[in-house]
Amino acid sequence: MAKTFQSWTHGLRTSLESLRRSENQLSLVLSLVIGALVGLVVVAFILLTGRLAAHMYPAGGSGWRRVLVPVLGSLSTGYLLWRYFPSARGSGIPQTKFALFIDDGRIQFRTVFGKFFCCSASLASGIALGREGPSVQVGAGLASVVGRNLGLDAKQVKALVPAGCAAALAAAFNTPIAAVLFSLEEIMGDLHAAVLGSVVLSAATSWMVLHLVLGDDPLFHVAGYQLVKPAEFGVYAVLGVVGGLGSVSFVKLLLGLRAWFMRLPKSSVWLQPVAGGLTVGIMGYFVPEVMGVGYNYVEKVLNGDIVLKLVVLLAVLKIVATAVCYASGNAGGIFGPSLFIGAMMGAAVGGVAHSLFPQSTAGPGAYALVGMGTAFAGVVRTPLTSVIMIFEITRDYTIIVPLMISNLIAFFISQRLQPEPIYEALAQQEGVHLPNVHSASQTDRIQVRQAMRSGPVVLSPDLLVGTALPMTKGTLDAWPVVGEEGLLGMIRNRDLENASSSGGGDKRLADLFDSPRGHSNAEELPHVHLDHSLGLALQRMGTSDLNVLPVVSRANVRQLLGIVVLDDILKAYGVGKHE
Amino acid sequence: MAKRFVGSSFLTTFALVFLAIAALFAADTYLARMESSESAIEATRLFNEGQAMVARGDNLNAIERIRDALSIQRTNRYYQQSLAEAQLAAGRTADAEVTLRGLLESDATDGQANLIMGRVLAKEGRFPEAISYFHRAIYGQWGQDVPRNRLRARFELIDLLAQRDSKEDLLAELLPVQDQVPRDLKTRTRMGRLFLRAGSPARAIDIFRGIVKEAPFDADGYAGLGEAEFTEGNYPAATLAFESALRLAPADDSVRKKLDLCHELLALDPTLRGLDPAERLNRSRKLIELAGEELSKCVAAGSLNQKAGRVTESNVDLAEEIWQARAKECKSQPAADDPLALVMARLAR
Repeated sequence: MAKTFQSWTHGLRTSLESLRRSENQLSLVLSLVIGALVGLVVVAFILLTGRLAAHMYPAGGSGWRRVLVPVLGSLSTGYLLWRYFPSARGSGIPQTKFALFIDDGRIQFRTVFGKFFCCSASLASGIALGREGPSVQVGAGLASVVGRNLGLDAKQVKALVPAGCAAALAAAFNTPIAAVLFSLEEIMGDLHAAVLGSVVLSAATSWMVLHLVLGDDPLFHVAGYQLVKPAEFGVYAVLGVVGGLGSVSFVKLLLGLRAWFMRLPKSSVWLQPVAGGLTVGIMGYFVPEVMGVGYNYVEKVLNGDIVLKLVVLLAVLKIVATAVCYASGNAGGIFGPSLFIGAMMGAAVGGVAHSLFPQSTAGPGAYALVGMGTAFAGVVRTPLTSVIMIFEITRDYTIIVPLMISNLIAFFISQRLQPEPIYEALAQQEGVHLPNVHSASQTDRIQVRQAMRSGPVVLSPDLLVGTALPMTKGTLDAWPVVGEEGLLGMIRNRDLENASSSGGGDKRLADLFDSPRGHSNAEELPHVHLDHSLGLALQRMGTSDLNVLPVVSRANVRQLLGIVVLDDILKAYGVGKHE
Repeated sequence: MAKRFVGSSFLTTFALVFLAIAALFAADTYLARMESSESAIEATRLFNEGQAMVARGDNLNAIERIRDALSIQRTNRYYQQSLAEAQLAAGRTADAEVTLRGLLESDATDGQANLIMGRVLAKEGRFPEAISYFHRAIYGQWGQDVPRNRLRARFELIDLLAQRDSKEDLLAELLPVQDQVPRDLKTRTRMGRLFLRAGSPARAIDIFRGIVKEAPFDADGYAGLGEAEFTEGNYPAATLAFESALRLAPADDSVRKKLDLCHELLALDPTLRGLDPAERLNRSRKLIELAGEELSKCVAAGSLNQKAGRVTESNVDLAEEIWQARAKECKSQPAADDPLALVMARLAR
């Protein structure tokens, strides 16, 4: 028996040993493990929040409870956040991006712990914030903690963080594809990130765990909606405008209030969340639907059960409540509230349209559904994620085209009126400048064509070394050698000098190449194309130890179009030598 | 990559992570079960409140309560059906239709959902679609007491068809169930009346005769038999049945009116068996007289002028025939200055 156990543990040790030596296998296994771990933690977070809320607000409870509980909840969690878990304040998404891009993917377990319990208590008490952002930080934090404890290096830990984010969102919102896209589009800022595989695996594992524990139940049960008449596109466009303006109002109010709270004395930080609790409590006394995440009411609205005046009122109240709750420093996200606000705005637009043109428009529920995606695209600025997310919620293709139209309008309006995306703006208020997809594309936008020298001096392969040597005196490290078949390669000055000093002055330049046809691949012949970024050109110069690279055609690598020189690249970035 | 690994730390972390996963799975399962049971209790409470409101006729608030219950137990089909019924009762047929479409998408053979959909569409005046859903309900799946539920669905359809006076469709629905219905008097009386409504009085007579044979003191049975006989044109039999009904329920004015009508009819009918010729002649004369009165009312009203002309001619022809018959049968001759004889003579010329 003992022998069997010993052989079993020995086998396990051997397997783990081989696992840790193989990077690919380790990445695969960690994606699955993190997906399962994060999925279970997020499910626990959802269930715990629900149980706490059920006990804080028992059926038939008095109206005063709706004022007292959020005040007490925000007071207690506010103190805990200030005293013990300062990194667990707010949404969690800017904090995750900070960890990923600035802190080598480092998120402390203490932050994960604080985020989990403070957010759970805060949301259960009725604070008008969402659970998705905090879940993302919890997921990313767990991935970071596991990665660091396994002894992975910073690069590997950073690669695990998006997997944790996707797993968290897949479980929190029950939309695995949108979770993958969100991780790439918003967290990484790059849809072609190399971590795609582990992100997908992790999200899928987490989603399976969610279904295993909570069953196959979508977040919202929505009736099938469809476009009634093509003219309805006009109403969806109007919804896009309303959604865009509503999103901008929400973001500007939130940022403005956040800036105001940040100007208050530091000593009041622990007390500030009470402002959010009191605001939501007073609103909730009169309109209970404004409290908490509010997904129950969203579902009712999605199924067309609306009173026009109430949905308009709720859209306004939720904008104010969420902005105050978030700005005052409560723990919770804006992901869920954005969907709530969007659903209410959509239901309002749809309600008006349906009452005016009942035969030509779908019910308000259809507009509420599109409104959710519209507000998300306007607030979070991830249009692709929002389309896929609504598709996953409804599992219905027919609403997608109106949704895309409405989303894009909201996205453009939001981008125009509030250029800085919300998570970047929030980080900037904290003094952190996060990279985003726009800044990355701005850098990549300067291409080789903008610094290329056309018609450079080229050397013939039949030229003798002794003849060529005086011609190459200058600032360039190498010169293109071009024969009848085109570019043979770059001949370095030091190769010419070496050949000359070793008595090879009468050698042809072609003889200096390994092959009479010269070089043709990128390793042997460092080169760039016209549409490459200057960043890539710099990188290749560094790798090849040259200050000049040939620019060749994509259609024919031997067709020399020009050369790009280090000094010209520096000038293009505005840091070159001025003559 | 492996250079920074510390073997024991690696193993310990993996072990801890797997332990955490196992512990979390246990905790999640426990929490999920607790939530599920507490949610079920809360949903039942809300649903019962909603049902009580429906019973009070407070349908709008009932919808809210049932929706609240449904938001907790979303897949509960019984709640969804009840929601649709409450929406129908509140007149929100479009909402009820949306609710039912969701239900039927997940199970198109659900008998109860199809039945409610049939009611909803009938209320919206979309009768062909409604009839189709009633048929799906009749042949659909029912959880329990299948024959009774199917019969109930068919009778709802039968009632709809009777209201719409679709005789052929009604008869087509009645024929398959006539042997399935319960044998109690109420149901058989209903069937008899429905056959009558479907334009099949002969089948109605059979049913009502069976009823009065088994229950000779059933006034409704006699009244139904009277109506069936009346529709079939058996007036004497109808009269007898109505008289029996009236004996059993003397206060029934509708039966009395029908009996009076039978009496009047029988008093006019010259074709009844057992009448002597003089009576037949009198009745035929009376018929002409009454018909003429009716005609003169029309002519006085200034309508049907052309038709009046034709009827006058046929009346004159009939009078001539009678006059000729009199001349053959009667020995006494009319007086020379008898105006009738003079007019008839002129007509004969």
